[in-house]
Amino acid sequence: MSRPASGAAAGKIGGAGRRSRGVWLTALPLYLFTIVFVAGPLVYMLVLSFQTKAEGWGVEQVFTWNNYLRILDPVYLDTFLQSLKLAVSTTLLVVLIGYPFGYFMAKLSQAWKRRMMMLIMIPFWTSSLIRLYGWMILLQAKGAVYQTVRFLGFDIDPLKVLYTYPAVLIGMVYALLPFMMLSVYSSAEKMDWSLVEAARDLGASPMKAFLSVTLKLTMPGLLSGVILTFVPSMGLFFIADILGGNKIVLVGSLIQDQLTRGADWPFAAALAVVLMIMTTLLIFLYQKVTHSTELEGLF
Amino acid sequence: MRLKRKWIAVVMAAVLAIGTLAGCGGSPAEPSAPGGQETKAPSGSDETKASGDRELVIFTWDLMFPEELLKDFEEKTGIKIVYSKFDTDEAMLQKLSAAKGGDYDLVIADDYIIENAIAQGLVQKLDTSKLKNYGNINPVFQSQFFDPKNEYTIPHGAGIPLIVYDPEQVDFEIKGYNDLWNESLKGSVALTANSRVIIGMTLQAMGESMNTEDPAVIEKAGEKLKELAPNVRMIQDDNTQNALLNGEASVAYLYTSQVYAALNANPNLKVCVPEEGLGFGVMGAFIPSAAPNSAEAYEFLDYMLDAEVAEQMFEFLGYYCTNKAAEALIPEELRELLVAPEGRTMEMVENVNNEATETYNKVWTEFKAACN
Amino acid sequence: MRNRTKLPAVFLAAVMAVMYLPILMVVIYSFNASKLTAIWGGFSLDWYGKLFQDREIREALVNSLVVGGLSCLAAAVIGTLGALGNSRLRLRSKGAVEYIATLPIMIPEIILGMVFLAFFSLLDLPNGMLTLVIAHTAFCIPYIYMMVKARLVGMDHSLEEAARDLGATPVRTFFTVTLPLLLPAVASGCLLAFAMSFDDVIISIFVTGPKVTTLPVKIYTQMKTGVTPEINALCTVMLGVTVMVLLLSGLFRRLGRRTGQ
Repeated sequence: MSRPASGAAAGKIGGAGRRSRGVWLTALPLYLFTIVFVAGPLVYMLVLSFQTKAEGWGVEQVFTWNNYLRILDPVYLDTFLQSLKLAVSTTLLVVLIGYPFGYFMAKLSQAWKRRMMMLIMIPFWTSSLIRLYGWMILLQAKGAVYQTVRFLGFDIDPLKVLYTYPAVLIGMVYALLPFMMLSVYSSAEKMDWSLVEAARDLGASPMKAFLSVTLKLTMPGLLSGVILTFVPSMGLFFIADILGGNKIVLVGSLIQDQLTRGADWPFAAALAVVLMIMTTLLIFLYQKVTHSTELEGLF
Repeated sequence: MRLKRKWIAVVMAAVLAIGTLAGCGGSPAEPSAPGGQETKAPSGSDETKASGDRELVIFTWDLMFPEELLKDFEEKTGIKIVYSKFDTDEAMLQKLSAAKGGDYDLVIADDYIIENAIAQGLVQKLDTSKLKNYGNINPVFQSQFFDPKNEYTIPHGAGIPLIVYDPEQVDFEIKGYNDLWNESLKGSVALTANSRVIIGMTLQAMGESMNTEDPAVIEKAGEKLKELAPNVRMIQDDNTQNALLNGEASVAYLYTSQVYAALNANPNLKVCVPEEGLGFGVMGAFIPSAAPNSAEAYEFLDYMLDAEVAEQMFEFLGYYCTNKAAEALIPEELRELLVAPEGRTMEMVENVNNEATETYNKVWTEFKAACN
Repeated sequence: MRNRTKLPAVFLAAVMAVMYLPILMVVIYSFNASKLTAIWGGFSLDWYGKLFQDREIREALVNSLVVGGLSCLAAAVIGTLGALGNSRLRLRSKGAVEYIATLPIMIPEIILGMVFLAFFSLLDLPNGMLTLVIAHTAFCIPYIYMMVKARLVGMDHSLEEAARDLGATPVRTFFTVTLPLLLPAVASGCLLAFAMSFDDVIISIFVTGPKVTTLPVKIYTQMKTGVTPEINALCTVMLGVTVMVLLLSGLFRRLGRRTGQ
């Protein structure tokens, strides 16, 4: 980190020199904390990724490219591919459900908007693990869904949904949907609906009006929802573990494997570095496309 | 719009504030609890506090001791037990080495990780003269690779992973590992998630050693394992037996404690002791090198070595009894489950060199990917 | 507005129903006498009784509240001041610091957990309350920072100028003018941050110490060992408290409005 020489550079906006030191002081805790406890660990991770795993246990301070070369092995490349595939399909489903939800929600009356907002927020105050567990109860071979169908008089075989790809997809979509709903909602809520009216008055079909006006205006929300869904879904390994029976190898679970059974921290660090570069690029792309520095909806 | 969001913020702040206050205020005394049974717990903890500040931090998996024994020990000695849990052996070693062998007074973990912990100097030598029940240990489980001279550890249960299946859903008799590859078992096999155990099982099925360091042989086992993929329903380390009990799977390759739990819940399940060979593991208890309360750790170790206490513990734990004196006390109907079979060739999973470890990890990842 | 159909309402309701379905299951099965979820063993309140006697869960709950509270507090101070300072600084490093400060919520949690564990052991920091609070503060800061930053953009700065012109010291201006204006943003940032901290498993697992377990970590280990109905009961209680507080606050609001008129 390049540290500024003193407050001299800081005073410009306020104009007054005596003020600059105060301004600098207010930012100081953030700078210190960020450099020590965020940048520090991340730099350490980078260093670790170039070190060698010791025989048995631990890390040797010997420089190597080997950890990165290992990622090029087809097995591990395939893991990245699988993670991407899951992340893309999750994001797609989340868009398909979350976008109309946010959109329709923005059209509700004030009272209903408030109620909806609460309904979305309440689950946040329970444990996300427990909500996953609820899905397990539902999807088990002889779980709640099976029992309900049987109770209704249909004779079906025990379900084989749990521990399959669809089960993981359900869990991922379920966990990440609220972020999309909120992002799109916040974008659609800010939107100037008279523009849509105007487009309609000028003779645009509802579809055309939606595509050329609404979609465009809600794009920041949609894109930020995509980021908020896509980035975590690259790393959310415990959903795949719990609902997928550990059969889908994601980058997150691969890292977890290296940290636990593999006891291979340098390799885990290398995987993490690659994953981080990928997500960073994505966020960078988002900022370039939307010309904004923050994500819509959450902030 | 801004106003609206502000409003939501304020409401949620109120929720938070009230929730926090209710939580903090409510937690120690629990005034909101219905029924009033809650008075028991606080009075119990007051008692232990009153009888001194002696403390013992045990670090192991969840559910390693029955609650009654921990309470009994606390009452008898006045030592307060802090039961700290880990998920995997490696997480334990990471934490222990971060703490430089301190923080924890007694650790129970698997054999191979103890070898690593000893090599790192995180384990202190035991003074067995402090343990008057030391003679109760069954010597069969001692002098293993991780502690050949018995300087550091006390065995705390042994395990042999076995195949358990539901005869109602499997229409042939399972005799060994190779039967898991049977085509009729499509999508109905549950496996534990320890890569070395599963690849080791495959190696044994091929007549190889579980600890081979030859990458070619490991790769070959990987190929064979991939053929098992269509049969695999789930790979999970904890509660794997539940898959068998709730009908998700009809066959499962389980750790000893899981075999025990499965048979206790459903006595109709059948157990297969694989004919190709057996894997074998021992859990060991050790005192970390910088344990803050080692005297208390000795007291606890000695308590757990007592024949009656050990018998109770093993009945709860469901691993093979490593206590000779306790073995005699095990009820007849549980003997088969709690006393290790004799006269079989068994092999322990041991640490292998880096190249082999990398290959094992790779093969494992390939296998999991093939299951999807 | 034209052509109102019921379709949007049906869609919203359907999605919400699915969102609440698993939660409903958890609530229902907290009253299940049987430990196995495949079997309905009749109605029972046993798990609630067990829950209220469970010392470990109570301790974990207190730990979670303490960790969440402390890290939110630390993050609120650091994040608010940081956003304020950064908005007035003209430094080239400004963007970089902002980027790094918000990284903790942009990168997968497992990476954070892992680097924290490695880094803390490098620093010889013993795992425990301190490491938990540091780690949680790191991912709480971005929420508060971003909220405050967004608020600063839309804020009317003439009030501050006026206060300064009238001779208020910078500190006084901050406490009497700036902070009250920022408070809603700080509060909503804190809420979000607290909710995230209160639910965090992955990072916490890596940095918990021998004597400190948080509630989600406790739930995680219990789920693995299978003693879950008690956790169902806990979840139901948490849900109940949240809903009750929401309803009450709605009621007060309505009452307040009526008396206001």
